[in-house]
Amino acid sequence: MTRHASSSAALALAASTIVAFAQLSIKPALAQQAAAPADAPLDVHELFATTCGWCHSDGGRAAGKGPQLMDTARSDDFIRNRIKNGKEGAMPAFGQVFNDSQIDSIIAYIRGLKPDQG
Amino acid sequence: MLRLPSSLARSAALAIGATLAASQAFAQPVDTARIQAGDANDWLTYHGSYRSYHYSPLEQINTNNVSNLSVAWIHIPGRSTRGLQSTPVVADGVLYYTGSYSRTFALNGATGEVIWSYIPELDEALISRQTHSPYNRGVAIGDGKVYVGTMDGRLIALDMKTGKPAWDTKLVDSAKLTVGFTGAPLYAKGTVIIGAQGGEWPGRGPIFGVDAATGAKKWEFDTVAGTDEAMKTWGNDSWRTGGGGGWMPGTYDADTNTIWWGTANPAPLYDWSGADFKTQGARPGDNLYTSSVIGLDADTGKLKFYHQELPHDTWDFDSAVGEFLMLDRDGQKLVVHPNKSGYIFVYDRNAGLKNVWRITQNSNFVKDIDPKTGELIGRRDFAAGKQSEPLCPHISGGVSWNSGAYNPKTGLYYKLGQEWCMTLTVSKTTPITAPQVQLNIGADFKIAPPPSGEIYGHLDARDPVTGAKKWEVRFPEPPLASVLSTGGDLVFVPDSRGTLHAYNAETGAELWNHADGTGHQGGIVSYAVNGKQYIAVTAGFGGMASDDYAPTFGGVYKSMPRDDGALIVYSLK
Repeated sequence: MTRHASSSAALALAASTIVAFAQLSIKPALAQQAAAPADAPLDVHELFATTCGWCHSDGGRAAGKGPQLMDTARSDDFIRNRIKNGKEGAMPAFGQVFNDSQIDSIIAYIRGLKPDQG
Repeated sequence: MLRLPSSLARSAALAIGATLAASQAFAQPVDTARIQAGDANDWLTYHGSYRSYHYSPLEQINTNNVSNLSVAWIHIPGRSTRGLQSTPVVADGVLYYTGSYSRTFALNGATGEVIWSYIPELDEALISRQTHSPYNRGVAIGDGKVYVGTMDGRLIALDMKTGKPAWDTKLVDSAKLTVGFTGAPLYAKGTVIIGAQGGEWPGRGPIFGVDAATGAKKWEFDTVAGTDEAMKTWGNDSWRTGGGGGWMPGTYDADTNTIWWGTANPAPLYDWSGADFKTQGARPGDNLYTSSVIGLDADTGKLKFYHQELPHDTWDFDSAVGEFLMLDRDGQKLVVHPNKSGYIFVYDRNAGLKNVWRITQNSNFVKDIDPKTGELIGRRDFAAGKQSEPLCPHISGGVSWNSGAYNPKTGLYYKLGQEWCMTLTVSKTTPITAPQVQLNIGADFKIAPPPSGEIYGHLDARDPVTGAKKWEVRFPEPPLASVLSTGGDLVFVPDSRGTLHAYNAETGAELWNHADGTGHQGGIVSYAVNGKQYIAVTAGFGGMASDDYAPTFGGVYKSMPRDDGALIVYSLK
């Protein structure tokens, strides 16, 4: 079983990743929306409601299955590494799913988390 | 039910049980007839028998002597990432069970000595990208082989005597769909049946029937839109990312040659449709056959009947969980099945609804379910945004995927209920399917206590058909493991702190307990070898529901490992 994609396959993978995540643009998503431009920013708020929120409760504001992300003491490098490589039995590895720019968006979202106003 | 005097039961057990060597040489092969007939010394299928009672008739360990129960042997399978979630099976004095990563073991049931082990080579890069992984819930046995599913979408058959692989069949494109198999398979009529994960993972949630002799796929049933009729219940092509699945073993009804199975919830878990879910939202329609019980022809996999317990489930309350108790009551043949919500459904053998009762005390996702029609009354459908009232029960359910137990001597169903809720902010989401399928939840949420006060769990002793409660034992944190009942008038409950409890099956009085070293979230069985009765339980915490325990409860959960576990076996001295 191939563990590491060849460079051209990796490029294709990265391209399809960007297209896939372009669907999570800032506009509200509908089930059959056409893909937005490839450089549309990642809607991390929607990403949390789609996937990350399984473990990171309340949009990342509270500890749950996973640790609280709001006000985390972890460095950007730690967070980037964790998103890319995961943690065995705890967090999936998203390194093939997000590019560095998208991970920057996720880190920015985490750094900007504030308590719920509602 | 005829109650055997203990002396007669013991001598019957001695007569049936031979020495280990002799039983291996002369035992009848494990086949459908033998599983159907059952034997007090064995535990031949995941649910104990095709009747799914999680009950052992053995009486050697009973209310008079259980205080003398002590550890006979322990096995540590290794690499128990996310703990040990499996239920052993036992035939002719040999115990077969799995650990995480589908590590499979055959052990001498009397001594714990490893007869053989099989450690499959898995696509670990894929596994690192999964969430509901790498735990395994157990094996099936039959036709001279042991069957185990893998997280990378395969079903493997191992020779029962040697552990050598007989066949290894790829069923699910897990690299693309991300999900695989965590549930134990079921063996019946020369066929091995196993259901894929699905639910919050977009896909079509297939259930497979595989030829036990050759490993060839015989049939495949898509729980999402698996028939033309069902396709109409998914608006806007939402069936393509429907979820579904059947990730726990059901059972086999020999009278009708039917496989009973429970299906999982649709994706996204939480819809933003509001009340008009038939025409609006992420997946307009009832979303057949998600959150349903289905009956499939054992030979062809064709759908014979179904009941959708939760039409347009928007709460993640699968029907994939738990047991299908096959009861006879007043001349009626019934099937009792718990839904994850905590509502317990009672059917005839064609899934015609007979009754519905509720085990949970805190529940507001519906006001009620009509016990005659199954209609959901006062359902809470969500519009996008923060919900003003917490949703009860919590996403971990009113009941867990583990099993309750039915004792034919007491006529009681021993089942764990869970009291917890969640705050919820529903959002529109887009299913992500490239480069690999990702979770589609549809909300941010957080665990919350119930309106009644603190989170807690409870073991209820109930009439399985009417729900009438005889007694209840409360636990400060919900136990998540399966329950065992025995002919010795005992009920065994492995709790989340790590203590195994034995209760008087009639009264609920606690008679014995023992600390197993870590929390429980798997199975517990009983069997006999050479006339000696054993209780075998898996200990090892760290699954999905248990992830919430350390941040919510603190205490012993803060230091409890999430990557360790052991099989602990008890007997009388």
